[in-house]
Amino acid sequence: MPIVQPGKRPARRFAASKVLGGKMMHGRRSTNAELNVVPMVDMMTMLVIFLLQQFSATGEVLYMQKDIHLPDARHGQQIEVAPVVAISAAQVVVSGQKVADVAELDKDPSSIIAPLVEKLRDEKKRWDYIHQNDRDREKNWKGDVNVQADVKVPFRVVRRVMASASEAGYGNVNLAAMEEATAAAAAAKVTK
Amino acid sequence: MGGGAMPEAGGKRKKRALDVTVNVVPAIDLLSCCISFLLFTAVWTQISRLQTTPMGSGAPQEMVQPTKSLTVTITIGERGYVLATSAGAQIEIPLTGRASDGSALYDLKGLGERLKKLKSEFPDQAAITVAADDAVVYADLVHTIDACVGAGLANVSVMGAG
Repeated sequence: MPIVQPGKRPARRFAASKVLGGKMMHGRRSTNAELNVVPMVDMMTMLVIFLLQQFSATGEVLYMQKDIHLPDARHGQQIEVAPVVAISAAQVVVSGQKVADVAELDKDPSSIIAPLVEKLRDEKKRWDYIHQNDRDREKNWKGDVNVQADVKVPFRVVRRVMASASEAGYGNVNLAAMEEATAAAAAAKVTK
Repeated sequence: MGGGAMPEAGGKRKKRALDVTVNVVPAIDLLSCCISFLLFTAVWTQISRLQTTPMGSGAPQEMVQPTKSLTVTITIGERGYVLATSAGAQIEIPLTGRASDGSALYDLKGLGERLKKLKSEFPDQAAITVAADDAVVYADLVHTIDACVGAGLANVSVMGAG
């Protein structure tokens, strides 16, 4: 866009004219500076296309946590919105609220985690309340729960979480994993 | 910016400028807004899910079980995988070794090949049960389920081996 000095100036078609262009110049150089914005528009268009490819309508369902490293998987499906049970080496957390210590779970002989069952039942009640006017409520209930566990969490803890989810009415347990390409990129970044 | 050639007009009519400048400022404004919005909402970590069903959960099964199907079970243990079918086959796939920290290295490649072979023999088969020892870590469980899904056995149930 031109930056124009205020005041009297010739029209653009006169400025280019050899005959009329010099009349108003009085020996000065033109103060009109044309800024070429085409490369900037190109770059912004490329940025928009790249960001649109990255865009996810569901948003971020699972947040990466410092103490949880996910394993990688090649054949995973796109993650869906559901209650998240995060299992680290130290504790079990549901939707940001701690429900059990992993160390204490080993002492407890029960096959389920009672606070987890209670919390998941609350989540189910909330879902029922939201969908109370839904005619196909029973049909729409999938019973999905996302389990996000650290790579080194033993199966005895995962099994109890799965049993608790099942007890609370969540029959489909989705195990979270990093997509293989993303995991490879992260590994390459660490290597550099 | 592009300009269109005007038709030659005869006579002494007033000539219009041939070059047309397109105002790109609104386009830049729009693109700036789009970039800001997309940067705010971008999801950088691609997390996927592997769907499983806890064994004995009583959850409604949406998939219709084929009439001619096997019961396929993979047991993940200390010594490796044991692939068993209701037809009587029992295949052991031993560990490839142990890592420096003592953790087991499972033969995922071998398991994948066996599962693909099984799938080619029974194309309708989609269900499989993964039974894991208590000491098996989450990563090995996920890798095993991933191998099952990769071989076309997508209906995975998980249970304890004990």
